[in-house]
Amino acid sequence: MTERRKHLEFLRKTARDAIWAGDYERALSLYEDGLALARSWKDRDLEDLFTCNRATTLLEMDRQDFDLSGLKEILLRSPTSPNGVLAAYASAHAHEVRGELARATFYAQTALQKSRDLRLDEWTAASMNLLANLELRESRFESAKALFEEALGRLEERGDGLSREGAVVSDNLGYCHIAMDRVEVGMPYVERAISLLDSLGARQAMDYPCLDLCFAMLKLDRLDQGESWGIRALGLGNEFGREDVVKNSHYLLAEIYATMGRADRADEHYEALANYYPDFPALKNYLHQISLTGMLNLRA
Amino acid sequence: MGAFMAQQHFPDMAIPLATRKVNLVGSRIRELRKGHRLTQMELSERIGVAQSDLSRMEQGEYKVGLDTLFKLLQVFDLKIGEFFGESETAGPEDRELVTEYRGLSDEARQEVRDFVRFKKMQQQARPEDSTEEKE
Repeated sequence: MTERRKHLEFLRKTARDAIWAGDYERALSLYEDGLALARSWKDRDLEDLFTCNRATTLLEMDRQDFDLSGLKEILLRSPTSPNGVLAAYASAHAHEVRGELARATFYAQTALQKSRDLRLDEWTAASMNLLANLELRESRFESAKALFEEALGRLEERGDGLSREGAVVSDNLGYCHIAMDRVEVGMPYVERAISLLDSLGARQAMDYPCLDLCFAMLKLDRLDQGESWGIRALGLGNEFGREDVVKNSHYLLAEIYATMGRADRADEHYEALANYYPDFPALKNYLHQISLTGMLNLRA
Repeated sequence: MGAFMAQQHFPDMAIPLATRKVNLVGSRIRELRKGHRLTQMELSERIGVAQSDLSRMEQGEYKVGLDTLFKLLQVFDLKIGEFFGESETAGPEDRELVTEYRGLSDEARQEVRDFVRFKKMQQQARPEDSTEEKE
């Protein structure tokens, strides 16, 4: 590896750590530095790599101010290289964020196929996880579960079962079981994920596991524990600017308080949730009367 | 012993007054859609899901996010009684009560709500009393 590549690999590793710690601005800044360096060296391969990394980071930040067609050009230009896998993966993620699920699935399958062909096990597991998340959004829980299980198996074979990536897949698998009302089967996967992410300092990835446990506890009628996980999820959602987590946390907490008979607390969370829907003034009244939990998919 | 007796007399005081809710389920969505004379195609377009997904939703197989669930409630624009499947509407006495309630101060409204809660708890604790009252 050349000195240049070593330097940029260090930048990438530092940026990845920043993402897991929730410091997206720093990660973005590092990737943009890398991109500028790659361009100044006229190294197309590295430029493509940093372009993909930058796009993925922006997506994590709920931003789409990058050139999606540029990612597809990379895919066409590098059909048999790791950059092609990364470009397909980032394209899938971008379409997922836009709600274009069929296109997202196409690119996720492309990323999966290419990563298998190139024997990039880590990316194979990541692509499976992405594809499974798309299945989850479409309520195809059994199919999602099988993909998550395979992804987790692959990570464990590589000795990465206890990594941050392994924790995320474990949480997703746990959620599948919880959504299918196999709460007792799913909870250990989610608990394992929380414990791992906590020990690895990946706080920003703990929001969904906390939300999943809140949902599980509500289903089991273990309301005190549900309240505690819901409060944690809400705090993390607010801290890292995840609107979907915040809204789901408010809803689940309101349901928990309503079931407890703590009407005032429930009302606070229904009110907070209703504030997101100013064109639906009657929403809070409906929520006081109707439970949506049986139809709710936290990953949709 | 005295405290024990007090608990026996007020069994519901220790139990939180939980809100009784109706669960939204697929079959109810189907009924409401038909009640509003909407085809699956029309409703699916209005809530932003594919028709095949709405079909799965009505069968209880397809779960969605809060945004879609709220769109569904908004499309149906339900009166709560309608959701519960009740056909009767509020009579003139009920409507008068609501009008008077709306004319109260916030503090007074809170007192009314507290009183209604108290009466409901009392009724749950001693259901025979409410029967006697009626008679």
